[in-house]
Amino acid sequence: MEATQAAPVKYDMDVVRWFTIASVIYGVVGTLIGVIIAFQLAFPVLNFDNPYLSFGRLRPLHTNAVIFAFGGCTLMATGFYIVQRTGATRLWSNGLAWFTFWGWNLIIVLAVITLPLGLTQGKEYAELIWPIDILIAVVWLSFGLNHIMTTAIRKTSHIYVSNWFTMGMIVMITYLHVVNSLALPVSLTESFSIYSGVQDAMIQWWWGHNAVGFYLTGGFLGIMYYFVPKQAQRPVYSYRLSVLHFWTLTFGYVWLGAHHLQYTALPDWTGSLGAAVSLAMIIPSWGGAMNGMMTLSGAWDKLRTDYILRFLVTSLAFYAMSTFDGPVMSIKTVNALSHYTDWTVGHVHAGALGWMAMVSFGALYHLVKKLWNTEMYSDSLVNVHFWVALVGAVIYVVAMWVSGIMQGLMWRDYDEYGTLTYSFVESVSAMHPYYVMRAVGGALFNLGTVIMLYNVVMTVRQSSATRGVGVVPAKA
Amino acid sequence: MEYLHTDWGAMSRNDWIGVTLTVLAFVAMIAIYALVFNPRNKEALNSQGDMALRDEGEHNNFGGRK
Repeated sequence: MEATQAAPVKYDMDVVRWFTIASVIYGVVGTLIGVIIAFQLAFPVLNFDNPYLSFGRLRPLHTNAVIFAFGGCTLMATGFYIVQRTGATRLWSNGLAWFTFWGWNLIIVLAVITLPLGLTQGKEYAELIWPIDILIAVVWLSFGLNHIMTTAIRKTSHIYVSNWFTMGMIVMITYLHVVNSLALPVSLTESFSIYSGVQDAMIQWWWGHNAVGFYLTGGFLGIMYYFVPKQAQRPVYSYRLSVLHFWTLTFGYVWLGAHHLQYTALPDWTGSLGAAVSLAMIIPSWGGAMNGMMTLSGAWDKLRTDYILRFLVTSLAFYAMSTFDGPVMSIKTVNALSHYTDWTVGHVHAGALGWMAMVSFGALYHLVKKLWNTEMYSDSLVNVHFWVALVGAVIYVVAMWVSGIMQGLMWRDYDEYGTLTYSFVESVSAMHPYYVMRAVGGALFNLGTVIMLYNVVMTVRQSSATRGVGVVPAKA
Repeated sequence: MEYLHTDWGAMSRNDWIGVTLTVLAFVAMIAIYALVFNPRNKEALNSQGDMALRDEGEHNNFGGRK
């Protein structure tokens, strides 16, 4: 109980508020671009024969917007919030936190300008050109330094597990981003990767899968381990398991990248190793998911009335599902069917929509109530958001699973003469209904983010209006 | 057994660095498992499970805008 005995602490929460609002806005923008490109895939005429609005240029804008703008701002808001609260201390440097905020948003603006112009390095999830890569490294390190130093000056003896997850993410993403982005510039906007051939592919997926492992998984597990107990008002079911969860993910995830490159020029054993460790990772992943869900032991009734808790718990179900789906897909025999199909897209979005976005929504609603010291403008709208997001995510993921398996089966089917039964175009044509379903599911998910933005804006306005006549008490 | 055969003489410096890091990571994982599953550490670790709940009420949640 070391933290609670200390004198009241004044935290640096203004920068957390700005990151929170930015995250809610980027949630709308990122998913909207996703909906646009989903409709473009279903109805190619929507590319309008305009290169700046074409799928090829908007797709990286979508991934960058949802991962780095929405996800990044959520991670930074919650990271700065949790490290202060669990350490019973202010930020090491409030000024540096503001540098991080404006720097990160500058990077997002630069991405919005450069990607539609076709300025890209062509590396998935690392498309931004080299000057922006350097800026990312500087701003990310400012976040990392501030978080680590705030942990160092904490007033508590123990470092809470959420902070371990965040620091693990900071260290690994720095390492991964710098190594993957090493390139020889030939102009302000063009460069060549220092890697080539199979080494380039291996480095790319070492980055790609660990961006998933340490950023989209580890970082958001840090959120989960703080906000699930907080919202449920229950201690973590097994803190021992959370410690094991952190270390096994940290040691294990770095081996997985090669499972993206089965049946390529990469040595066969690397893919086998990647698949073997992927399967082993089911154990800590499911252990962590169960740990989060069991934290509700004795408080399951809260799910009837606490809509924020619903987001958090549902995210854990998707986390468990995605961390089973992924390892299964890494097995060579399954990968022979699933690779290059929409099954991969379904898997990624089970994680992105169901896990990452859902846990973010839960944490952001919790933060809004705490940071503005008020109740939500409308709890009913939180409930509507939950159901719209859930239905949208399920439609999206199921459509992609079905179309992916269908694609894989069509591509490998051959007749009695040994020739392929279907042409590639026939498989594309067969996907059309599922692409429409995916766009509808995505549109529902996007609608949920719009509802959230409206609810948050009204909540903040309501809080500002009442601040002059007294603070609205927070119940959560 | 042929699949597992290794030509140790052909190992480059990078190979040895990789092998060393791999073995160290493996040993570190064993050490973590031993630490976490040691019954003597159970109470000390699990006593931190409510840490997220302890920051309620005693501190100023609202930064500079209370």
